[in-house]
Amino acid sequence: MRSTADQPARGRRWFSTAIALLAALLLSGCATQSTRLQDARPEGLPVRSELVDTPFFPDDSHFCGPAALATSLSAVGLATTPEALIGRVFLPGREGSLQVEMLAGARRQGAVATRIPGTLEALMRETAAGNPVVVLQNLGLSWAPSWHYAVVVGYDLDTGEMLLRSGPVKRETISLRTFEHTWNRSERWAFVALPPGRLPVTASESEAARALVQFERNAPAAKAAEAYRGGLARWPANAVLAMGLGNSLHASGDLAGAEAVFRHTAETHGLAAAYNNQALVLLELGRHAEARRAAERGLKVAGPLRQTLLETLGTIEKAAATD
Amino acid sequence: MNRFQQFLAVILSVSLLNATILVPVAHAGMVTTQEVATVIATGQAESGQARLAAALARDEVRAEMERQGVDPAMAIERIAALTDEEAARLADQIDTAPAGGIIGAILLVFFVLLLTDILGLTKVFPFTRSVR
Repeated sequence: MRSTADQPARGRRWFSTAIALLAALLLSGCATQSTRLQDARPEGLPVRSELVDTPFFPDDSHFCGPAALATSLSAVGLATTPEALIGRVFLPGREGSLQVEMLAGARRQGAVATRIPGTLEALMRETAAGNPVVVLQNLGLSWAPSWHYAVVVGYDLDTGEMLLRSGPVKRETISLRTFEHTWNRSERWAFVALPPGRLPVTASESEAARALVQFERNAPAAKAAEAYRGGLARWPANAVLAMGLGNSLHASGDLAGAEAVFRHTAETHGLAAAYNNQALVLLELGRHAEARRAAERGLKVAGPLRQTLLETLGTIEKAAATD
Repeated sequence: MNRFQQFLAVILSVSLLNATILVPVAHAGMVTTQEVATVIATGQAESGQARLAAALARDEVRAEMERQGVDPAMAIERIAALTDEEAARLADQIDTAPAGGIIGAILLVFFVLLLTDILGLTKVFPFTRSVR
């Protein structure tokens, strides 16, 4: 092997190429959050926290999506199994589960699925508040991806570790730095699934509103109303949440409750949609004169909903005429 | 087909489309919460065109799901669980979006991943322990 003179030189070249590659890999992404977190610990965040009672559904095939979802749902009282979820979130042709379907699948099981901010601190605050978090990791590299869903159940700032229910491992301890690398590659995607009425502590107002509107789409009306009430308790001034509550109450048959919510929303926000829906509920209640007044006030602020309010006014007039 | 038949065919298919796809309007005239969110976010009402596009996206995703091995009845249920926005996104990305499921790393990259695992940049292999 070492008989020719140029071999050591080639060997050295290979070695330097390897070093260069390694350097490129090392510099390609930095785990900045984990360093910062350990240097300066955020206020009010416990040093460690672990949701030890979180159930575990081991998986060493392609079903980490159903397993992670079952883990997170069962942990918050919406008991289910990965087997029951495979048909709902697994895509055989892709040998995996898509993010959109993970969220939709959680909703189908009666949970409000809310995206949370992509920070390690948010993951920690959620687990400290008792909420396991479903995360998408790319355990491999951007050009050789190994997409994987796991559930964050805790952390330890002293040892610098994240604690996960992950694939076949019940209690995976992974360094914050490595976790951050794998999570960065999924653009730090994470969500918390909770029963209606509860919301993740770190959720932004807009993400929470989005999750609640999505939940209303397929949920029983009474559950949707409960979910919106939970949102309004935190963001009482949010017009979308108020409209959602009104619509859900209406769909559940509580006309008086819906009317009160729409009236209040119309008055506080001057919202054409609220006047419109209030008018139609008043019409259902047989209060024609009030219905017309509401529709007329709505028409003044209608903007893009002008056509809708004109139609509502027409409906009210027709009903009044046949009386 | 003569002109009249063509005309009839178009009218019929359009009305069928309306009947089958554009049905889910809960109560005539009520503004849905999704519409309120759209109006507040964009300052515009939802157009019929957008609704039709969403319906077509749903159909596309359903066909693609069946092609990818999802049971047809289950595919319908799964589509129903999606919002218009989600359906549109899936129609675009069902083949490319990340699918969490860990597919075993191929041999070519095995050693690279082993090395990066040891460096703590990746976590493909359960038996590796990062050096730091």
